[in-house]
Amino acid sequence: MGLKDLFEKDVQELERDGILFSTLGKLVAWGRSNSLWPATFGLACCAIEMMQSTNARNDMARLGSEVFRASPRQADVMIVAGRCSKKMAPVMRRVYEQMPDPKWVISMGACASSGGMFNNYAIVQNVDSVVPVDVFVPGCPPRPESLIYAVLQLQKKVRGEVFDQDGVELPMVEGWTR
Amino acid sequence: MTVKPAGYQAVTLSEERTGDFETKLMRINVGPQHPSTHGVLRLVVDLDGERIARISPVIGYLHTGFEKTMEHRTYQQVVTYSNRMDYVHSFGHDLAYVLSAEQLMAARVPERAQRIRVILTELNRIASHLVFFGTGILDMGALTLFFYTMREREQLLDIFESVTGVRMNFGYFRVGGLYQDVPESFEHDVRAFIRSFPKMLDQYSALFAKNDIFVNRTTGVGVIPAERALEDGLTGPSLRASGVPLDFRKAQPYSGYEDYDFDVPVSTAGDAHARFEVRFQEMRESLKIVEQALDRLEPGPVRDPDRRISLPPRSELETSMEAVIFHFKLVTEGFHPPRGSAYVATESARGELGYYLVSDGGSMPYRVKVRVPSLVNLQSLESACVGGLFADMVVNIATMDPVMGDVDK
Amino acid sequence: MTTEGAAAPLGPLSERVVEALGALGGRLEREPFEVRVVLPARVIVDAVRTARAAGFDLLSDVFAIDWLRYPGHQGPRFSVDYNLYSIEHGERLFLRVDVDEDEPVPSITGAWKAATFLEREVYDMFGLRFSGHPDLRKIHTPEDLEGHPLRKDFPLGETPTLFNDGRFLDPAAFRAGMIGASGGLTGWVGGARKGVVAEQVDPAPAAPRPGATRGDEGER
Repeated sequence: MGLKDLFEKDVQELERDGILFSTLGKLVAWGRSNSLWPATFGLACCAIEMMQSTNARNDMARLGSEVFRASPRQADVMIVAGRCSKKMAPVMRRVYEQMPDPKWVISMGACASSGGMFNNYAIVQNVDSVVPVDVFVPGCPPRPESLIYAVLQLQKKVRGEVFDQDGVELPMVEGWTR
Repeated sequence: MTVKPAGYQAVTLSEERTGDFETKLMRINVGPQHPSTHGVLRLVVDLDGERIARISPVIGYLHTGFEKTMEHRTYQQVVTYSNRMDYVHSFGHDLAYVLSAEQLMAARVPERAQRIRVILTELNRIASHLVFFGTGILDMGALTLFFYTMREREQLLDIFESVTGVRMNFGYFRVGGLYQDVPESFEHDVRAFIRSFPKMLDQYSALFAKNDIFVNRTTGVGVIPAERALEDGLTGPSLRASGVPLDFRKAQPYSGYEDYDFDVPVSTAGDAHARFEVRFQEMRESLKIVEQALDRLEPGPVRDPDRRISLPPRSELETSMEAVIFHFKLVTEGFHPPRGSAYVATESARGELGYYLVSDGGSMPYRVKVRVPSLVNLQSLESACVGGLFADMVVNIATMDPVMGDVDK
Repeated sequence: MTTEGAAAPLGPLSERVVEALGALGGRLEREPFEVRVVLPARVIVDAVRTARAAGFDLLSDVFAIDWLRYPGHQGPRFSVDYNLYSIEHGERLFLRVDVDEDEPVPSITGAWKAATFLEREVYDMFGLRFSGHPDLRKIHTPEDLEGHPLRKDFPLGETPTLFNDGRFLDPAAFRAGMIGASGGLTGWVGGARKGVVAEQVDPAPAAPRPGATRGDEGER
């Protein structure tokens, strides 16, 4: 098949020949979703489970997310792992702002998502009030499997394959518009 | 000639630096979001060239308000909080708390419960040291050992999960005993671990003990002499690496530690290598304790039968009105220790750990003061780092093994 | 503080130190589980030096207690406790200094560097000042937090949980049964703080609810 065929044949014929069509946006999202590099933002107990999720048994590398970057400049997704104190919140916001767009946030564990059992003067009751969260992971701490499931969900979200409760497809998360 | 910042003192610059040119100290901020600070530790470091002239930790980025929250929970509920303070050695914190509370309540813990507590605490000490090794050597740039230690830690977490239902943050100990008995597979699992683990230890040893890079990176680094360590209040393996054989399992035995035959590894070098070495030996000693405790584990109750402390068994609730009353009282308000205070020092994986409890006769502690090892140990960072290279600071932090939840409370 | 039953044993080293501290104005208090010497605030540095020279070579802890809500407590509001341990003798000794809110405590950092962080912690959590401390700053709480969290009149700072369908869970109501102040979710008022009741001054309650006992003001 020559290049000329691309312009002469119609789409069905080409697809039968094994040529797939997509939009550039979808292709970029597919690439992004499979190389989500997390920033190491370990705060407390969940950070240990975050470490465990990269080990031989759980192997988050399968999802393209094994490279935990120490510098926020090289990361796509921030995993807020653990309770976030009110003293830490400005730091967290700053780290988030240092990350290049597009960027996503996973709130890992009960404390980060809702304050958990620490309903007191010291802890931010939901990190969504500090940084915009895409996926909440329940658990105290969540098992590595939960974190991996969250990463899978985030990948779907990045690719625009998420539906709301009425079955309506939600728009692709465009990190750069935030 | 140097320009000294306000409050700067007690640092002598090396001879060759005080020539005819002017030098300035450079202030560098490390953390709180930094891969080698083991959490959210922040350090403000003044550098004279590559040498550290002054170092001051800034902490509190994980301040959780544990002590305040514990004052608003019943004695039994506090167990849920204590283990989240040091999430790497959770059972150690649980044990320290229940011992103090039991002292207040004059509870008699059955022997089987004591033995299970010792087994779990020691296994957790191994798990904690495994994290220490993995991350500590990771900080020096060696990634391999991290995967090895995490592999063995998974094996331990499986045991903990089969006993408590969760992998971390157990909340399994109760004032007066345990939540429930261990499952049938427990003994088999632990014995399998005891058999396989020494081989793994040899593997680790082969990986780093004679590794030139590791030895050169740690030997003579961050030396803390014994007097200096006591001045700083250092405890735990780091103190024993400086030559002071203080181990509360030996010095003031609790939970039946006096029954077991084990050594306290001590080194006199006081450097980072000694701190690695002492912890490495400790894992073997912990394994010895686990084996002895497992051999003496006999069937029996795991909770104090005293109805003031423990819930009545489920079966009695259907037949006995009295049991229902006790159950209701314990669940809704908890028990009331007499007024007074209690403190039991225990040996956590990081040092002296104890809960100072003050009771006013109510069902919640009036004051809980946790003597956390990591906070006090962090003061030795200055002794270890000042005068040393900036690159060695990472090694020193790693060998101090602070857990930030333990530091900030 | 009652001293019921057997008191904690007094080791030979503690005996010597207690005697030496007696010369400084120290008063021995033997609790069931601890040996404590209560000292006037101005001599605490000398007392710590004395104990250290005698053989207490580990400063375990420095902490404070706020006695504001402690039933039947008389005297100054705060106490600062020093927890000393002797490695050689295996003995533990507590020193206590009773202080009021605006009364500065002499800092023992000159005598023992280990107290640096611990005194900062007490300052942060209780607002007690240590005179002569080289670096008395907040340690745990953020700079913009006003007040000192571990004081008894500092609120826990709980926020009530709101659910989507309009249900509402108030933490205070949830635990009221344990505090003994108001009816909880069950409406049942716990007979909490048993040891407290006898010593509380009774403000002539108007028709107490059945089963209710008088708690301490219920603001905890």
